[in-house]
Amino acid sequence: MASSPKTSSPKTSASKTSASTTSAPTSSATTSSASSFRQRPWVRWGAPLLLVAGLAVLPLVMTEGANDTLARIGVFAVAVLGLNVVMGYTGQVSLGQIFFLGLGAYVTAYGVQSGWNIVLVFVLTCLIPAVAGLVVALAAARLGGLAIAMVTIALPIVGVPLAKRLSDFTGGSQGLSARFVEAPEGSGLYDDQWQLYLVLVIGGIVFLMTSLLVRGKYGRAFAIVKGNENVASSMGISPYRYKVLAFTIASLIGGVSGFLYMVVVQYTSPETMSFGHSIELLVAMVIGGAGSIVGSLLGGAFYVIVPDVTNAIDPSLTALLQGALLLAVLFVLPGGLVSLPRALMRRLRRSPAGRGSAAPPTTPSSTPGSGTAAEQSETERQGHA
Amino acid sequence: MGKFVQLVVDGLSTGSVYAALALAIVLVHQATGLINFAQGGMAVLSAYAVWWLTNRGLPLVAAILVAIVLSVVFGALVERWLMRRFERGDPDTAVVVTIGLLTLITGFAGWLWTYNNQQFPSLFPLDTVSFLGVSVSVRSLGTTAVIVVAMLLLQGLFVGTKLGLALRAVAINPQSAAFCGLPVGRLLMVGWGLAAALGAVAAVLVAPQLTLTPGMLDNALVYALAAVILGGLTSPIGVVIAAWIIGILENLAAVYVPFIGFDLKVAVPFILIFVVLIVRPQGLFGRKTVVRV
Repeated sequence: MASSPKTSSPKTSASKTSASTTSAPTSSATTSSASSFRQRPWVRWGAPLLLVAGLAVLPLVMTEGANDTLARIGVFAVAVLGLNVVMGYTGQVSLGQIFFLGLGAYVTAYGVQSGWNIVLVFVLTCLIPAVAGLVVALAAARLGGLAIAMVTIALPIVGVPLAKRLSDFTGGSQGLSARFVEAPEGSGLYDDQWQLYLVLVIGGIVFLMTSLLVRGKYGRAFAIVKGNENVASSMGISPYRYKVLAFTIASLIGGVSGFLYMVVVQYTSPETMSFGHSIELLVAMVIGGAGSIVGSLLGGAFYVIVPDVTNAIDPSLTALLQGALLLAVLFVLPGGLVSLPRALMRRLRRSPAGRGSAAPPTTPSSTPGSGTAAEQSETERQGHA
Repeated sequence: MGKFVQLVVDGLSTGSVYAALALAIVLVHQATGLINFAQGGMAVLSAYAVWWLTNRGLPLVAAILVAIVLSVVFGALVERWLMRRFERGDPDTAVVVTIGLLTLITGFAGWLWTYNNQQFPSLFPLDTVSFLGVSVSVRSLGTTAVIVVAMLLLQGLFVGTKLGLALRAVAINPQSAAFCGLPVGRLLMVGWGLAAALGAVAAVLVAPQLTLTPGMLDNALVYALAAVILGGLTSPIGVVIAAWIIGILENLAAVYVPFIGFDLKVAVPFILIFVVLIVRPQGLFGRKTVVRV
């Protein structure tokens, strides 16, 4: 706020930066027992190996329906991950992520139908959405604040009639279908197993690269842009440039998720990128956990499973339920589902200690309205760490 | 020539609807510093209230007045029980809350009244009047007139009354306003209530044309946000002028630019935004905000 007194401002900004730099040691100190367990070499190397081995076996033993559901979860987890890069990590609300998924799906379908090499198709599926995202971000990020949200809301709303209009490329309202993923001869795999393997491998690589990105130099720059743009520019980090970069990466990941969408669903229409789906993607991201890799996976699962469940009960309830769940999560658990274990631990640890005095009714991270700015930034850091 | 004037008048009337929605967004933004993406959804709810009341046999005008009162109450309640908690926190979280509210309202309306299109009674007859050899529809003229009157009333409230003075004080500096003894919380509720009322007027005027569905104003929200960006968040007059420009341009483009046509005219404000953001990021009429570190 521009109205904050001048004297207190440098203090808040200083404490914000210190909070961001010291957040790693404090969090490891509070969970020292857990982290020392995690630091042991056989856990560090064994756990990922076990995970990979489990994922390699899973497609072989599950039913076809379960394979399909898991593959769709993978597709949308990648899309949510892209949204997380721009929104969870960089703090720029984007309402247009589904547009890039749709664009990627159309590029894939068109390329396959034209008989192009599949590697070329994949490269184009990454490049074209990334360029589109770059162009949008170059304009939208020029206006600070919420302009990115206000511009990107138009993407799905313009995208649907545009896809219908460009029927030479998109097949109009009928959409495009492309079957190009068949299990190779001699592998003995069924198509659904092969599809799931493809999603696991490509999605796994995207997740790995993104988690490296957000932990490294660029991730720290994104976090500072999110925390305080003025601090960022005073440290020589251009908020404009990093917002554009984050949005472009998000669009690229959206394009990859579009490719995976075609691998699994094999059909796309203008409905793929409708406004409602774009909102659902954002709901899934917030409920899974903003600014979290695991949260993206949970978000993908939410995006796929909740409509399946509500459709079984009453299809007209889906939107109502999603809105109610989103608001409930924002009220009770602002960090999303991924912060649930930590919030529970904190409450468990506090309840014996706070028995003498009046126990606070909620966890600190769920009361963003109270406290000074410095305290707020710290709780925010903890919530997203 | 006659067609051109007709298009301009029709554009002015749709532009007025966007302007009302955009003004509601600016009103909320000035009071609380956030963009309410649920403004259109709240307005649709008001339109459903009118539809429900008229189906129960209430005359249209009475139903509209009742719905406007209900909208004020609903807007104030949303501010008090939903947004208040997020106002001083991270603005991005608050925006996500409004998106959640939009989803909730759309889902609620769809669940209660289905997603099918409902016929909505028109406030104005479907006649046309001849004016200097050009026939224009009564509905377009009436829509424009009603919204201009609503804006003038709002302007009068803000400039001429003590309540308006207090609202402006809260918008400029909530802390100092609180130190002066103004009930900031209640004034914010009034601001949200007024915005909801303005949205209700817009929804009632546009519903006969679009037919009533839960997602009726999703497109209009995009136009309104475009008007807000073009006009600049700090300039209510700029926003209204931008909304009119958008309304007229999209109507003309739909007819005279073959590639755009009626289905793609929603792209017109998008292209406009692009050009303006590149050339003049603070909006056509906005001031550059300078924030102290």
